[in-house]
Amino acid sequence: MSAVAYTTPAVGHSRPGTEGLPEKISVRNLDFFYGDNRALKDISVPLFQGRVTAFIGPSGCGKSTLLRVLNRMYDLYPNQRASGHVTLDGEDILAPSQDLNLLRAKVGMVFQKPTPFPMTIYENIAFGIRLYEKLPKSELDDRVRDALVRAALWEEVKNKLGASGLSLSGGQQQRLCIARTVAVKPEVILFDEPCSALDPISTAKIEELISELKDDYTIAIVTHNMQQAARVSDYTAFMYLGELIEFGDTSKIFTSPDDRRTQDYITGRFG
Amino acid sequence: MVDVAFEGGSAMTVRDQADRAQVLQRLRIGDIAFRHLTRAAAIVVLLILGGIIVSLVIGAWPALEKFGFRFLTSEVWNPVTEKFGAIAPVYGTLVTSLIAMLIAVPVGLFIAMFLTELCPLWLRRPIGIAIELLAGIPSIIYGIWGLFVFAPFLQQHVQPFLIDTFGNVPVLGNLFAGPPYGIGVLTAGLILAIMVLPFITSISRDVFEAVPPVLKEAAYGLGSTTWEVSRYVVLPYTRVGVIGGVMLGLGRALGETMAVTFVIGNAHRVSPSLLAPGTTISATIANEFTEAVGDLYTSSLVALGLILFVITFIVLAFARLMLMRLNARVGA
Amino acid sequence: MALYETRRRRNALAKSMAVAATIFGLTWLVLILAVLLWEGFSGLSLAVFTQMTPPPGSAGGLLNPIAGSLVMTTIAVAIGTPLGILAGTYMAEYGRYDKLAFVVRFINDILLSAPSIVIGLFIYEVMVAQMGHFSGWAGAVSLAVIVVPVVVRTTEDMLILVPDTLREAAASIGLPRSLMIRKVAYRAARAGMVTGVLLAVARISGETAPLLFTALNNQFWSLDLNAPVASLPVVIFQFALSPYKDWQQLAWTGALIITLAVLALSIIARSLASARKSS
Repeated sequence: MSAVAYTTPAVGHSRPGTEGLPEKISVRNLDFFYGDNRALKDISVPLFQGRVTAFIGPSGCGKSTLLRVLNRMYDLYPNQRASGHVTLDGEDILAPSQDLNLLRAKVGMVFQKPTPFPMTIYENIAFGIRLYEKLPKSELDDRVRDALVRAALWEEVKNKLGASGLSLSGGQQQRLCIARTVAVKPEVILFDEPCSALDPISTAKIEELISELKDDYTIAIVTHNMQQAARVSDYTAFMYLGELIEFGDTSKIFTSPDDRRTQDYITGRFG
Repeated sequence: MVDVAFEGGSAMTVRDQADRAQVLQRLRIGDIAFRHLTRAAAIVVLLILGGIIVSLVIGAWPALEKFGFRFLTSEVWNPVTEKFGAIAPVYGTLVTSLIAMLIAVPVGLFIAMFLTELCPLWLRRPIGIAIELLAGIPSIIYGIWGLFVFAPFLQQHVQPFLIDTFGNVPVLGNLFAGPPYGIGVLTAGLILAIMVLPFITSISRDVFEAVPPVLKEAAYGLGSTTWEVSRYVVLPYTRVGVIGGVMLGLGRALGETMAVTFVIGNAHRVSPSLLAPGTTISATIANEFTEAVGDLYTSSLVALGLILFVITFIVLAFARLMLMRLNARVGA
Repeated sequence: MALYETRRRRNALAKSMAVAATIFGLTWLVLILAVLLWEGFSGLSLAVFTQMTPPPGSAGGLLNPIAGSLVMTTIAVAIGTPLGILAGTYMAEYGRYDKLAFVVRFINDILLSAPSIVIGLFIYEVMVAQMGHFSGWAGAVSLAVIVVPVVVRTTEDMLILVPDTLREAAASIGLPRSLMIRKVAYRAARAGMVTGVLLAVARISGETAPLLFTALNNQFWSLDLNAPVASLPVVIFQFALSPYKDWQQLAWTGALIITLAVLALSIIARSLASARKSS
């Protein structure tokens, strides 16, 4: 124990044990390169089905980079590449034969900055649904409503579905983005610092939302906010300078981490 | 949270997955087609340039073959004897553009300085709009205005003054010799100056505005005057952009047709006097092309067009390179 | 202290020159517009829009050149805009980092400022000479060649302004690239792209040189695009250089009409641009 007094962040409910839990996504020996620069070094980490896994670490440690490998978002840019193994339900998603659009429909992402499409609230959500399914209007309406309900936004927008997505507040826009992601029926949802652009009240709402969502989805969240990670996640991975330093139950990581560096980060020795 | 009964939960069934894969498969063809379509369109732009060069060369070939290098040096332009030489139009193009730049560049820079350093804030947008209006006026308007208003004005008030003042000065006098026609090389150059002025002004203003305020504040902090800040800090910092803008304006001036055709006088000769009528490449083509009889005549006109294109291409390419270097430095 | 005096004087001189330059520039604008309004307005009447171009000495209007200009401009925009948008899309989206886009950007910017008379020559060689006669089609195509670089430029600029996060958000729900561009990026950049088209229209409205030997001119009413077609700028050219007073008057009026059209388009384009900024 360090001599410096530190407050244990409030620990969220966590489910015990990793035995027997299926790994929805398995990352094995992942390297990632921006040009010649090796940004991720030999990362191996599991994402357990139906659980929330948080990735924490100082700026530049690679946590967002790792997240963006999981839905091959980096493929949009020419100079970035990954090597190693990342499997989703056993299938290697790094393989060139992998259909990227299919992958991204299964692995949804919510970004740091809320990015509603320049369309109405209804359209923002219907858009993704319509891409894959031809539904009669009443069914489509139901699906849109369901997505908005799941994202805890329905009550606030049910009377203005025709308003522009951009007319909502920041927190509402972010929930709209979550609704949009959920509408496409993914199996995994990746959250990349979803609350860093939001005020505390919106943040609290979204954290509550994430806890609710975990019943149906496998969730990974990157966050700068350690207290948030402690509140929301079941497992936590601490990363530093492109390496995975420690992975384990959230309660363990925050109370008695194995690695000295994890402890230093948690206690605010460096950030 | 509201509990919603959603049948089947949120997980995808196997059937949904298969449907989804089918949809994406169908979309894939359109996706690839779109990508190739945009690529093809981009290549068409290159083809346009290629087409211009090729068609000009082919069209000019008979004249170039017949006259060779003499085409560039001969002043003769005689449709009857079918002897053509480009030097009068080329001279006119260069001289009118030079006059235009000599006036437009300093005036444009000073206006840009006014807009960025001296102008009160509420006046900036209106004047900016006025400059854009000036740039947007079609060149044919400049042409008829020049013919009916400017040229007579010059003829009655300015040119006699120039002749009287400079006529007897030893060397300079040659520049202002001859009767005051009103139209002529000087008039065309002046009209071009007014046309090119808004381009130089707006590009200079844009690059001046991009100077980091801290740089100027540092100079002011040392006690520099406005003029000194502009001359010794702003201008050197923006030098590359300004040169790019000037080159762009020059490219415009060289290729300008209508503003010049009305007032240049359309005489195929090289004369030291600015008050004499002359011609430019574009004015020659505009005036004579539809009446050109005979392949050699037409071909000579196309050859003139080729020369003009080559000159403007070089100037514009240089301007682009300058502006690219500017962007690279700013890190755009 | 003498040095300081010199510096002060020089500064005052420079400042007054800056003011003088500005007044100089603005004066020309005022003069040109004032004369244009004065001369053009006095010939403005309903007849201008309803009657054909007359032979010298009789009264008439500008109906056929106005119609011809409208038709050729519309066709030029119809051809040039899709081509320009597609090429600009390639450069901003698919090819943003590749060599082809770099070269096309460079070439496009040169074409943007290329002398329009050279473009007229080009179309003459490939269309008029091949077809054996002047035609409205040739005129429209030469205008289209001027439209393309403008639209390419604005499309590329506007699409690049669309933030990457929006693209990633579309990708993250599995949207294929082309749909992402068409349904999200275009929509986000729409106002800017429309502005670009309006600017292109304003630009070609006043272009005379490329029409001089492609569409030529036509004193009679004809919308047959396979034959010479009258256009407003060419008619102004012909009438202004003539010695006939009534033709010259029509030239001024025609010039006024073109200028007002160009100004209106610029104002609409500008208000679209600022509406976009404030949204």
